[in-house]
Amino acid sequence: MSSRTTAIAITVLLVLVAALLPLWMGPFFTRVIQLFFFSAALAVAWNILGGFSGYWSFGHAAFIGMGAFSAAHLVAQLGPFGSGPWSMVVPVLAAGLICGVFAAIIAYPILRLRGIYFAIAMLGVSQVVGELVNNVRWFQGGTGVFLQSPVPAGMRPEVFYYYIFGALLLLGFLISVAVRNARFGYALFAIREDEDTAMMLGVATERYKIMAFVLSATLVGMLGAVYGYSVGYLTTYTVFRLDFSLNMIVFCLIGGIGTLYGPIIGTAIMLFITQVLLSRFLDMHLLITGAIVVTIILLMPGGVIGAFNSLRRKSSDQANTTRAEAAR
Amino acid sequence: MSQIILSGRGVSKSFRGLKAIQDVDFDIPEGSIFGLIGPNGAGKSTLFNLITGYYPLTAGEIRFKDQDLSPLPTYRRNQAGIARAFQISKPFPALTVRENIRVGAMFGDASRAASEDTVEQALATVGLQDLADRTAEGLTVGALRKLEVARAFATRPTLLLADEPCAGLNPVETREMVECLRKVREHGVTVWLVEHDMKAVTSICDRIIVIDAGKKIAEGSPQEIVADPKVIAAYLGEPLEEAGH
Repeated sequence: MSSRTTAIAITVLLVLVAALLPLWMGPFFTRVIQLFFFSAALAVAWNILGGFSGYWSFGHAAFIGMGAFSAAHLVAQLGPFGSGPWSMVVPVLAAGLICGVFAAIIAYPILRLRGIYFAIAMLGVSQVVGELVNNVRWFQGGTGVFLQSPVPAGMRPEVFYYYIFGALLLLGFLISVAVRNARFGYALFAIREDEDTAMMLGVATERYKIMAFVLSATLVGMLGAVYGYSVGYLTTYTVFRLDFSLNMIVFCLIGGIGTLYGPIIGTAIMLFITQVLLSRFLDMHLLITGAIVVTIILLMPGGVIGAFNSLRRKSSDQANTTRAEAAR
Repeated sequence: MSQIILSGRGVSKSFRGLKAIQDVDFDIPEGSIFGLIGPNGAGKSTLFNLITGYYPLTAGEIRFKDQDLSPLPTYRRNQAGIARAFQISKPFPALTVRENIRVGAMFGDASRAASEDTVEQALATVGLQDLADRTAEGLTVGALRKLEVARAFATRPTLLLADEPCAGLNPVETREMVECLRKVREHGVTVWLVEHDMKAVTSICDRIIVIDAGKKIAEGSPQEIVADPKVIAAYLGEPLEEAGH
């Protein structure tokens, strides 16, 4: 069996298991896994830009916030768009579109910045957008906005959002697989490794960077909108949160930045540690989390996937040497 | 002689007050292997950077296949047929040799399937088939240089600018690289080569341009160049009695 078939088989199996889990899982674990789906989907979306092209954004929470507030205002001004779960469709898609368009506009000036300058510029963008939403009265970021619950009658909310976020994670993952294997993905890798060389190899670097940025922002915007629904009542500080921006980066780092599974594995590890293992040490948990993050990054600079790959390479090198010696 | 593929007239570049390239003319005939030599800091890499569009010209004009290059961004110049192998090898370290070359092949005008043929052809041209599935990270300097040439070759250029492909190579590797460039030319690619290794340059080049302190000081066949007193002076300094004046 090729590694590709194995990967597809494992993915399908995981999706099936995930689909059946809520049938017997209690509310606590359903909520933990729902949070995992949401966070992992964010990390996967961040990874398309930050991991594949090397443009680390420190302000992706801007798109969570814009997505959530776009959906809320759209419903308030033009809604409702039906009732029950279907009422989410138009606002969520529109939120993605708005974030994508916004990203395309700011891409022109800020994607010219490289490395840490881009990271800081995005941090600035998220602060500015957050402040605007907070202080411009029309946005009502200070007082807060409501989103009508789309949860169908008789369904537990955590189960409903479990499926919605699960589906979005799957969507984000499949998109990043498609990107990775396409010409688009190669362009982004080339940009990450060396942008000048990429240009010299005929890669239209500007265009591909903007495409990755818009795609990433669109996905995060949609996730932000659904998150808005799941919270129900939004203020600026519910969604424009620095810890959202940082988590996306940390989860990718822990799992393996720029890889397909890294963001998901990293999120799983970190959420398991913080939500399950440390749930009893509320007073200490940030301290311990910090220590764990530093340790993992020091011991495994390539993340879990990177460590796994280098282990595998080592053992196959060893096998090769033994074979070569035997041949001699 | 055949047609001129690349020509420069009055090519100049200043960085603030520093005149890096001054009024250089050149005509590169199609199908030739051309040399560009000069002491360190003479402006050889700057000249290549002007041709690839990394810097804009301060004055003058560069024409490629009779088309003015100045409005084209770097990636368009590549798509038009100019490739460059960098002096300091810049492979994508996390990718395998084949994937590195594939990046070069992918962004030409070809379809995905056609680009796989190009990748294999480039691997064969430089003789890297055995290392194709290794990551670029662990390669020797010699292999990295070949990869650099292969990746540029995979963009299907008609002109390859090779910036010191033999620097830091041992004599065996240098000979292999010279062979490699000959093979590139056999595929119909014009080669313009910056090189310090005089043996390599004189053995392979049809014609050589010499620049010093940003100015062209000589042009001719390898035999003419090595005998040219101006070239000798630029490389070795003026004879002692003249320097005393």
